[in-house]
Amino acid sequence: MGVKQGIIEAEGLVKQFGDVIALNNISLSIRQGELFGLLGPNGSGKTTMIKVLTGQIRPTAGSATVLGIDVKKDPVGVRERVGIIPEQETPPSFLTATEYLDFVGEVRHIPDVLKKADWWFDFLDFNDKRDVLCKDLSRGTRQKLMFTQAFIHKPTLALIDEPLINFDPIMQRKVKDYLTEYVKSGNTIFISTHILEIAEEICSGFAILHKGTLLHTGTVAELKEKNQHLDEFFLSLVQKGTHG
Amino acid sequence: MVNLFVNMMKEEWRVHSTMFGSLSFALFPVMIFGIAFMGSFLLPLFRAVVPPGYLAIIIHAIFLLGGIMVGGFGLLGMEVMNRRFGQASLLSYSARSLPISEREIFCTFVVKDTVYYLILWVVPFVAGFAIASPFILVPLSLSLLLLLTLTLAFLTGLACIFFLSTVYSRSKQAFVVLFVMMLMGWAGLYLFTGINTAALFPPLQLFYAFSYAMFLAACAVVIIPSAIAVVLFTSEYTDTTKRFKNAIAPLTKKLSFFPYPPLAAKDLIDLLRSGSFIGQTLFSFLIPLGLLWFLLSVLGRFIPAGEVLLLFAILTGVIASTMYTWLTMFDTFSSYTCLPVSVHALLNSKMCSFTVLQVIPATFIVLVSIAAGGVPYLVPAFVLCLSVSFYALSITVWLTGLSPSVLVYDAKVLLVYLISVGIALLALIALAFVNPYYSVGSALLFLPAWVLVNASYTKWDMQDQPVF
Repeated sequence: MGVKQGIIEAEGLVKQFGDVIALNNISLSIRQGELFGLLGPNGSGKTTMIKVLTGQIRPTAGSATVLGIDVKKDPVGVRERVGIIPEQETPPSFLTATEYLDFVGEVRHIPDVLKKADWWFDFLDFNDKRDVLCKDLSRGTRQKLMFTQAFIHKPTLALIDEPLINFDPIMQRKVKDYLTEYVKSGNTIFISTHILEIAEEICSGFAILHKGTLLHTGTVAELKEKNQHLDEFFLSLVQKGTHG
Repeated sequence: MVNLFVNMMKEEWRVHSTMFGSLSFALFPVMIFGIAFMGSFLLPLFRAVVPPGYLAIIIHAIFLLGGIMVGGFGLLGMEVMNRRFGQASLLSYSARSLPISEREIFCTFVVKDTVYYLILWVVPFVAGFAIASPFILVPLSLSLLLLLTLTLAFLTGLACIFFLSTVYSRSKQAFVVLFVMMLMGWAGLYLFTGINTAALFPPLQLFYAFSYAMFLAACAVVIIPSAIAVVLFTSEYTDTTKRFKNAIAPLTKKLSFFPYPPLAAKDLIDLLRSGSFIGQTLFSFLIPLGLLWFLLSVLGRFIPAGEVLLLFAILTGVIASTMYTWLTMFDTFSSYTCLPVSVHALLNSKMCSFTVLQVIPATFIVLVSIAAGGVPYLVPAFVLCLSVSFYALSITVWLTGLSPSVLVYDAKVLLVYLISVGIALLALIALAFVNPYYSVGSALLFLPAWVLVNASYTKWDMQDQPVF
């Protein structure tokens, strides 16, 4: 991967569901080693963007590459290389937590997956739930499980939809620290969230999406230089976008 | 309460129309009406061959089973909904956020289920029969009586399942004791008195001979279990969390001959732990086929037993093809969206698991052939059954991909399915009647099935998977 080539490159992405334009001509470039936040109010198109970038749905127009792979031509290839946490935690109901991770290991061909899983059970503090069926797990524990499956193969890029939404404050701190350290070792993380505090605390770059349109792309450092807070900036931009 | 009822009705409609499409779902009662209307014209034929009263037993049994199924689905609704819609939130669970008691919600839920499914199933069926009745010389009053007795049969099923489920939620031991006592009472009555216990079913008795006493008895069979269910209802359930040893790794090794062993292992675990394997084999395979065998056996007066067996093999094949839904009902593509798994791979894996499940119909048709004295026709029956099953599967996969449950309610899909499968079946039936051994030629159906399955891979890979 060349230095100039973005880890994620999107050019004129459009996604339409019937008459609804969920993504309207989105162009975006994200470099290696960034912890990038896609911000936007509910229904702005953040989840759709992640789905398009991970090949879960096909764009209506435009193109995108992830780790140099065309998402339209090889969606499975994209998912093979990246880690994904969907918005709603969806581990299979009738597998236990251990079985799900073993299943992920078999599908992704991860050697010694259960040994790696042991570390995650300890780290995210859900050792006592490893033999419980996923359908009987709480939302928080399911989120821990989904977090584990996304990172257990140490992907160079992880795409996470609302990363901390079901975690308690202690777990939020732990996960934020983990993500920050993860990008320091040269990996890239793309998160989508509407919780601006998270973005301001851990993200380096960010983009603001509103009603499917990209309103702004920049860095948190640039805002800090201008003595601006992300939430004020976000609100002024979104309100302008709404009324304008 | 009225407001809650109205909103629950709207919710039920929206759940179904979201799952199956508004138009398709709206056409479902029309289809029931059409089937009842056209089926009524076959009544004179059946009356000539079926012992008196048997047809009434069958129809009432179907509506009783319908009530049981609807009640069961209502109680499992959240589980199914969560799988299809992600984190579903239904009004039935609004006691957590609204000042309405769980008991009041449960009562409204029972009333809603009753009214909703009466409109959806019972009324269209009786209306179809009523409109056909002048043409088949059946008095209109019989239609009105049928509306009453089928409604009561349906409600008895609903009431029974609500009653048993509330007993179960209170005490599993009490449930087992009650269930065994009911079964023993039923079997004992039959064994020691020789009485056809089905004929004691109050709605059926009412149908045979209307009397106010019997009407009250039939109502009591509905009201008493429902009232007990409401009294016994509790929202405090004991923790049923179960723990399991890792079965994925050993199963994946054992299934290494599959193209996608972990996917096959997961399918098998889903089938076993959801209880689908036994439940579906019994309720979606053996019971419907038992009923079909009974219906077909009356044709023995007109056509040779060998041909009846081949006809049965064809129908067994059609029912066997629905085993595909066993593999998809507790699974949605959303579970795989974070993994490098294509729709193509999933379809392929499900069809391999389906192939293994075909051991059930294959064994079944061999046993039936032997039991019915049709050994000379064993090979054609065997080939027919499996060819039809795989052909119907290919049509199902082409039309519905990983969501075959829509087939049940989507009238458009169902129509295409019926035409595609129906034409092939008619040709096979004709072939079997010319010479039973020509049925072996049905193996040719594997060819279009193979083409269609391969086309389905491309079709479903190119489409966004529906997220309900």
